[in-house]
Amino acid sequence: MDKSSSQRLPPLKRNWWLKHRFFKLYMLREATVLPLVFFTLCLLAGMVALLQGAESWQGWIAFMGSPIVLLLNLLALAASLYHAATFFVLFPRVMPIRIAGHSLPDQVIVAGQWAGVVVVALLFFWLLGRG
Amino acid sequence: MSTDQITAKRVSTDNTSANNISTNHTKTKHISVKRYLPDSSTETFWQEYDLPVDDSTSLLDALNHIKEQLDSTLSYRWSCRMAICGSCGVMVNGIPKLGCKTFLRDYEGDIRIEPLAHFPVQRDLVVDMAIFLEHLAAVKPYLIDDNPVKPYDPNAPETYRQTPEQLERYKQFANCINCGLCYSACPQFGLNQEFLGPAALTLAHRYNLDSRDSGKKERMAELNRHDGVWSCTFVGFCSKVCPKNVDPAAAVNQGKVEAAKHTLIALFKG
Repeated sequence: MDKSSSQRLPPLKRNWWLKHRFFKLYMLREATVLPLVFFTLCLLAGMVALLQGAESWQGWIAFMGSPIVLLLNLLALAASLYHAATFFVLFPRVMPIRIAGHSLPDQVIVAGQWAGVVVVALLFFWLLGRG
Repeated sequence: MSTDQITAKRVSTDNTSANNISTNHTKTKHISVKRYLPDSSTETFWQEYDLPVDDSTSLLDALNHIKEQLDSTLSYRWSCRMAICGSCGVMVNGIPKLGCKTFLRDYEGDIRIEPLAHFPVQRDLVVDMAIFLEHLAAVKPYLIDDNPVKPYDPNAPETYRQTPEQLERYKQFANCINCGLCYSACPQFGLNQEFLGPAALTLAHRYNLDSRDSGKKERMAELNRHDGVWSCTFVGFCSKVCPKNVDPAAAVNQGKVEAAKHTLIALFKG
């Protein structure tokens, strides 16, 4: 592409997102990954502990039960639900579903995704209940 | 409502329609305009204006009032007054808006008018949109047809045909008026001006969805690269500010799905 003719402005400063409420909400949506990283690291540590033996596993269980870790993981749960809520609304705009030439209403697609969450959650609780 | 109130209301309506901007029912509002006059200084400065407004005063009316009555040195673009030409985009309190579609009745307190963000300013509220036009041209936003309709033959006319369902697929994205508000709203364009940006990518998608078009392959080369659809992070502010409800964020992200398909197909074809 020809990049010669027109003038370019220097990139925005790093604090561009502080200018506006809409951008702050966007950054909050993106920042939901941070507590989720913590949760993922916890799971990874759990697998390593399982490999290392019973003692290590008991240590990991105690670690997961400590108040600060519980709090951080609750935050991760809240963050993932917030991210899901924003993502589910965006989904029908990115992948409009058309059946027999007619597009499915956005609300139906959003409701379908939440139904999926409920099914997975129920499956999870059923598995836990069996154990 | 008493008879007196009804009468009073009628009188006020009559006054407003008869005298428009200069009735007793107008209020005075204070607006600040960011000025840039490169002939006299390289520095920008804020200039304050007090002007009479009523419920029907648009920001464009206000700018015209300043230009005609208060300060003839003010520069800004405008043409149609009805959100079709896309010329009068400015920042109002930091948000991109069309002057003709913004009404001062909706603002209390500060009204700060600036030129559209992310574009070089030429003078006052006039920006240089050349970069947007370059990005637009790069995606070939027009019908490309490998088998064009033959020259018109009255005995056997051949025209492009399209069903209402086929029209429906791209119609929303065809409402773009190239006003550039979405570029001022897009932080990714502010961070990287080589990003093709919301309107150009939307129009590319609009033609890709058109049943009469067969230029998708040509456009994909532009779309499916870092400065194409993949620079978008779905901030979504472009769709919020779009005065024609085009939803460019949706188009750009549908473009990502198409670009991913394109890559996969190319992979299998080898």
